[in-house]
Amino acid sequence: MNTRPFLGWFVSPAGLVAVGLIAAMLAVFQYSVRAYIPGTLEVGGFTWANFEAMLRPLYALAFWNTVLICFETAVFTLLLAYPLAFALTRTNSTALRSFILIVSVTPLFLGEVVRTYSWMIVLGNNGFLNTLLLKLGLVERPLRMMFTSGGVIAALVHVTMPIMVIMLAAALSHIDRNYEKAAESLGAGPIRIFMTITLPLSMPGIVAGFSTAFAWTFSAFATPQLIGGGRVATVSTLIYQLGFSSFNFPFAASLSIIGLALSLAVIALLKKAASPLERMAGTT
Amino acid sequence: MLMRTDPMTAPTPSATSDKIRPAVQLDGVTKRFGDSMALHEAWLKIQPSEFMTLLGPSGCGKTTLLNLVAGFLEADNGEIFIDGDLVTETPAHMREIGIVFQNYALFPHMSVAKNVAYGLKTRGVEKREIARRVDEALALVKLTGFADRKPKQLSGGQQQRVALARALVIKPKVLLLDEPFSALDKNLRGSMQVELKQIQRELGVTTIFVTHDQGEALSMSDRIAVMSAGRIRQIAAPDDIYRRPADRFVASFVGDANILNGRLVEKRGDVAVVSVGDISAEVPAAPIAALSIGDALDVFVRPEHLAVTARGASGSLPGTVTTQVFQGGHVDLYIEAPGSGHERVLVRSPGIAALAASPVGAEIGLTIGSDDIVAFPPGETA
Repeated sequence: MNTRPFLGWFVSPAGLVAVGLIAAMLAVFQYSVRAYIPGTLEVGGFTWANFEAMLRPLYALAFWNTVLICFETAVFTLLLAYPLAFALTRTNSTALRSFILIVSVTPLFLGEVVRTYSWMIVLGNNGFLNTLLLKLGLVERPLRMMFTSGGVIAALVHVTMPIMVIMLAAALSHIDRNYEKAAESLGAGPIRIFMTITLPLSMPGIVAGFSTAFAWTFSAFATPQLIGGGRVATVSTLIYQLGFSSFNFPFAASLSIIGLALSLAVIALLKKAASPLERMAGTT
Repeated sequence: MLMRTDPMTAPTPSATSDKIRPAVQLDGVTKRFGDSMALHEAWLKIQPSEFMTLLGPSGCGKTTLLNLVAGFLEADNGEIFIDGDLVTETPAHMREIGIVFQNYALFPHMSVAKNVAYGLKTRGVEKREIARRVDEALALVKLTGFADRKPKQLSGGQQQRVALARALVIKPKVLLLDEPFSALDKNLRGSMQVELKQIQRELGVTTIFVTHDQGEALSMSDRIAVMSAGRIRQIAAPDDIYRRPADRFVASFVGDANILNGRLVEKRGDVAVVSVGDISAEVPAAPIAALSIGDALDVFVRPEHLAVTARGASGSLPGTVTTQVFQGGHVDLYIEAPGSGHERVLVRSPGIAALAASPVGAEIGLTIGSDDIVAFPPGETA
């Protein structure tokens, strides 16, 4: 017991946070099983009605939509972040390294709302992209990018990028360069080295980055709300609408509970699907 | 890089001058990292089946030279030939070289068999042939039955065998060994050295071995290239390196040496006579050609080339035994000999007779009992 005398002090802040979180979750949970009394903020007695209501196509569709958006966002983020992370860990040029770090990490310092507004400027009908396309004569009418799930995904990819780059770079920088040299000496060209050595050995980073991107996107609110403009329904925008437009707290609470369960389930599934890949990389 | 000759028309080096075509040849290869000269005009010819060791302290350029041969670094100047072919600009994956890294670098996500098969797969060898050659290679390194293990399920010595099998299975033109024993404990190191040397001789594979351990270099090599500060100081057989070091650095880096203050007495063509007190000895004249009769010089004497005799015997240097160190097979005597110009002189006597014959405090005479003495102009040690 005396080997780590300060352990208790060190973990107590985390404990306080955990207690707060659990209390809040319990509050949300107890709201979710109460009846909604329209026109008031008071809640009624015990009921499962909120959860039953969620089986209605409108809500089921929102869940499916959210999972799809999260999945697509994670895929695109991975595809875009991997080359950046690779260049970041492999370049000898300090200038290039700083450039990649600044480009990929500074978005973290801007709030989600600021980033989302800048995407609205880019994607709008009179926005940067459409103006450019019109000027170049590539399109005759502005493309509709705002209020589409494509626009939401584009903005979410940008939001999720830094965390993915950081996680992939961490995994890539842990790969001993001698593995690649050994493969090279054994006659493997750059593509074969990447496919047989670098990619499998970075699998733990890919799995961690993908799951994090998924969870990160699942809870995103400002981006789908502002860019989707109510026309792209996700779980978080739905919760907002129900809770703060309709003041139906019980239903918003039950949506939150199911949303949380769903995202945990999907991440667990991802982990399970990825475990053979990770075992291949020799990490388990 | 400036005057790159066309590989098609470049003269095959030394094919005319030597009877055998060297397996590896470096012609004035230079490599700089920024301002620092990592390798300065290295000229080196390695014969087929030869075991060549690059020996030197860390930072001497030996690993740079290895990486240049492997193709992981590009030479700034000079040309590299493997098997008579100009490879200075050939990428590493086309050089057909086997490498064993210091940390073995076994692919952690592949089984032993997959590791060994890797180089065969890249060459598009047919599946059954791969299986046969992998079995053969694992048998060679005595790891039959370990095919399905993962690298981390193996001991350090076993990992090294896998690395060796992986490098040898492709029948490389050259085998490069980068300090392969430094991660092994002392007992295992000895037996792996014997085994590696045996396999190397059996297969007749040309080998470049990089080490900072002079014991390893002396015991394993056909020839040694001693390096320091980016330069090759001497290339010779181990016994020549030991007996006839070319300069002060080689003399003090390889083996133990007493550096005694002496004077040049006489020059007789290839040989010079030097004296340390009443002792006189013959040394090669070349290293001290610039000195004249009577000049001071440093005489390098190996501990086992000194002998203890009676005080006052003719041609001896008076001394007093200050310490005895029993080493098992031999005895190290530390002797205070004021005439040597050296605080303590180390004498290595074979057997254990010296324990009784030269007790601490004994007043004795020192003589030189060998022809293998060298002298260099006075200067800093090393």
